[in-house]
Amino acid sequence: MKAIIDRIKKYLLRGAGSRPSTVELQADFQARYREFRSLLTANNNALEAMAEMEQALHAGQTFSAAFVRSRSTAVMVNVYKMIQSLLEISGGRYHKLKKSFEKISARVGEILEQETAVSSGPWIIPLHKINKNMADQVGEKMANLGEVAGIEGISTPKGFAISAAASRHFLVANNLNAEINRLLQMLNPENLAAVYEISAEIQKLISNAALPADLETKINDAYSELERETRPGVKVAMRSSALGEDLAGATFAGQYHTELNVDREFLGQTYKEVVAGKYTSRAILYRLKKGYRHEDIEMGVGCLSMVDAIISGIVYSRDPGNPGNPWANINVLRGAAQKVVMGTAPTDLFLVSRQEPHQIIKQELHQEQKPSEAETDTPFPPAADLAIDLTKIALILEKHFGAPQDIEWSIDGDGKIHILQSRPVVFSSDTGENADSGELENPEEQPLLRGQVTASHGVGFGPAHLVANAVDMLQFPRQAVLVVAHPLPEWSPLLNRAAALIAETGSEAGHLATVSREFGVPALFGVQDALKKINNGDVVTVDATYRMVHAGRREDLLARSKPPPDLMAGSPVQAMLREILQYITPLNLTDPSSPYFKSTYCETLHDITRFCHEKSVEEMFSFGEKYHFNQRAAKRLVGEVPLEWWVIDLADGFQEGTDVTGKTVRVENIVSTPMLAIWDGITAFPWQGPPSVSFRGMGSILFQSTMQPGFDPALPSPMSSKNYFLISKNFCNFSVRLGYHFAMVESYLSDLLTENYVSFSFKGGAADARRKAARIQLLSQILSRYDFRVEQKGDSMTARIEKRPVAFLKDRLKILGYLTLHARQVDMVMGKQRSITRYRNKFFSDIEMLLKPTTAEV
Amino acid sequence: MTLFNVLIVDDEQEFREVTVKRLNKRDLHCEGAESGEKALERISKGDIDVVLLDVKMPGMGGIETLREIKCRMPLIEVVMLTGHASVESGIDGMKMGAFDYLMKPMELDPLLEKLQEAYAKKKNQQDKIEMAQIKRDMARPS
Repeated sequence: MKAIIDRIKKYLLRGAGSRPSTVELQADFQARYREFRSLLTANNNALEAMAEMEQALHAGQTFSAAFVRSRSTAVMVNVYKMIQSLLEISGGRYHKLKKSFEKISARVGEILEQETAVSSGPWIIPLHKINKNMADQVGEKMANLGEVAGIEGISTPKGFAISAAASRHFLVANNLNAEINRLLQMLNPENLAAVYEISAEIQKLISNAALPADLETKINDAYSELERETRPGVKVAMRSSALGEDLAGATFAGQYHTELNVDREFLGQTYKEVVAGKYTSRAILYRLKKGYRHEDIEMGVGCLSMVDAIISGIVYSRDPGNPGNPWANINVLRGAAQKVVMGTAPTDLFLVSRQEPHQIIKQELHQEQKPSEAETDTPFPPAADLAIDLTKIALILEKHFGAPQDIEWSIDGDGKIHILQSRPVVFSSDTGENADSGELENPEEQPLLRGQVTASHGVGFGPAHLVANAVDMLQFPRQAVLVVAHPLPEWSPLLNRAAALIAETGSEAGHLATVSREFGVPALFGVQDALKKINNGDVVTVDATYRMVHAGRREDLLARSKPPPDLMAGSPVQAMLREILQYITPLNLTDPSSPYFKSTYCETLHDITRFCHEKSVEEMFSFGEKYHFNQRAAKRLVGEVPLEWWVIDLADGFQEGTDVTGKTVRVENIVSTPMLAIWDGITAFPWQGPPSVSFRGMGSILFQSTMQPGFDPALPSPMSSKNYFLISKNFCNFSVRLGYHFAMVESYLSDLLTENYVSFSFKGGAADARRKAARIQLLSQILSRYDFRVEQKGDSMTARIEKRPVAFLKDRLKILGYLTLHARQVDMVMGKQRSITRYRNKFFSDIEMLLKPTTAEV
Repeated sequence: MTLFNVLIVDDEQEFREVTVKRLNKRDLHCEGAESGEKALERISKGDIDVVLLDVKMPGMGGIETLREIKCRMPLIEVVMLTGHASVESGIDGMKMGAFDYLMKPMELDPLLEKLQEAYAKKKNQQDKIEMAQIKRDMARPS
């Protein structure tokens, strides 16, 4: 009881004694207004970051983990600012928002900070103890090779793996991770030169770091053991075998470092270089393109005794160009297999039937057929027998791994086949089906050049750009056709931007061919004299499927090309973004009048922004009413003006020296840039009043609410039924609430482009659903034409435009002023298609007239 | 544009020096400090308006420095600078009263804009306090 009396006392006292002074009220209002402005800015920034994230996910863009992290941070910080501002404006009401925010941001934080599962286990594992289930210790490549080594009747070189746990030990002991992350964070992937620089710096850091003594000892011991198994002083090949590559079918073909013929003395140094190979520029860019975080990848290193190769090559258990073909592809080269995958040497190609008895279906001999004198004394096995043996092995491995295999092999002086690597085949996303069913080449076509090998199917066109060195690479334009002598793995960073690839040599078994298929870039190899016949800047169309290069742009061929694959599909970074967006973008709080429009029902950051925006507007609008804010309260606009308009000066919207004690204000006294622009639109054409056809009925309701005769501003009608402007010099919030119909224009105009915006929202209206929809459609057609981003949802729509110069936005405000006044008439006649068209045409011609003088000024 | 005093706190010498130089060219009065400790020493003179503060520094970290600045000189506005964008440091800084945060590397114009906004806020707070002071003085019976 006492409490109630106290409250009553307080209330009475507030009414009488402690009424705030004018100056205090102004200061209070300005503080709120500033908070309101900063809330709107934060709202803008948060929504913009959300839009960028959605765009990245749905438009198939490439984005990095750093992007996801930075955008998430931007959203969270701005939402936090909005909450702070709202609490400030509302005097602490809605404090429960903080709890909702904490809950959501904790969840987002968890997803962002998720650590990759760290592998454990020994530092050194001998190959014969490795199987395919150990990819999380030794990397995919070595795990597969260990598995191959265990298959009866198939031989591999002897060797051992240095595990990911070992490389982690090495990096941690030298405290390198923080510095590497710092360098990577600054990376701008668009700037190739900077990528090279940072890549070089990181690799130098790693190569120059000291190998921990315990690890060095273990590596040396393992080598001694290998010597006992093979021969003293055995040379080894050291190659990367990264962890986490297998995710989402990425190949990482040729992205890393391999070193051949390493002896004991250089084991340690080479090991460090192979580990550093994780940060070659091509590997960095590849990971980015495919959606891998650098921390997702750890380096294992394989150490295998060298095979003295007489012949080497690649066998595909199925044709990588078209898995439906009934043959295995075999590429053969004299010497070590390295040259095949490097794409530097021409190779012989054999196609062998997969069905028993295996037969050679086709052979293409591109190597010089006469072996040089030095080589004649080594017995060269008959090619046909060899090809059939390799096919048998390939089919065994395919069966064992349960998928078509891409196998690297070598044959030593004794004629024994050694398997060096086996992994799943990467097929072209475009299999060139039409090409194989029809004729392979149109005899009447006279192309500019012909090629021998379809490394990756498809058609691409663009200006040619010849690349021979790193300087050429840096100048490579987007969507150009890459022309090179040899398809070296070094060129792979350019595949991100190339429209097609032409090489004078190479086979489909090379690393660059694999990456082209993966990225969906058409690639034609074995194009003789390409560098002579194509000049920089020549526009060419590359038809990789039909193995031809044509001059100019060939629409007929391009019509066959397919859209590029979504490279990030299923990648860890994409999964992370998708998961995070669940807590950011869905909007559950859509209807402010619903009982669920409460701070406790905010489930996403978008909900919070929506809630804060709505409530802050409410708080601002009711300010004058709540505080008997006589001097600042709404003033009626008087003069030669149609209808009834009210203006609330938030800060500096009236000309200096304006008499602010009265109850009215004249347009001449207003200095709010956005309001004046809207006003221009409102007054540009005389308002005819509602169309006479519906003067009775619904029209008269609207008419009445607009033409309310209660002119005396001393008799305030509720705020919700007035047309009013909340203004400052740079800001205007213009609301039209007419019975069932609500429109709001809001704008901020200043010299800072980033702050400028115009937004328009429109809801409801006194009409049935069909009419409403038709009206919204009409409005959105008009606004889209004038560069607004329009979003429609049911019977409401929003249109936004931002970060444009003041003159441009002023024109948009005029349009909105015009539309809010005149679109009302449409309500009444919206049912008839003919009258809609008539109105649309009239609107367009009026708007053109409206904008004319301004464009002349500018 | 009003001239105001900015202190740039970052252990990364190159970034610090280049930014100081560029901001001075844009008519700001700008100085650098290479550590949190040095920054606290510098602000005690009382003429710094806005601090640009790197989150990650050896010794006294950015968040710790922010806490100290806000404790000693609550009117100074602090813009946090993060290299490795981490949600934690962004939000933590805001909770501790930072004005805003920026991510490295950034361009000069957005930086300038942010510093100006921060200064506007500081100026405003100052005016408010002065106003309250005047009011108190006037209310005092004389």
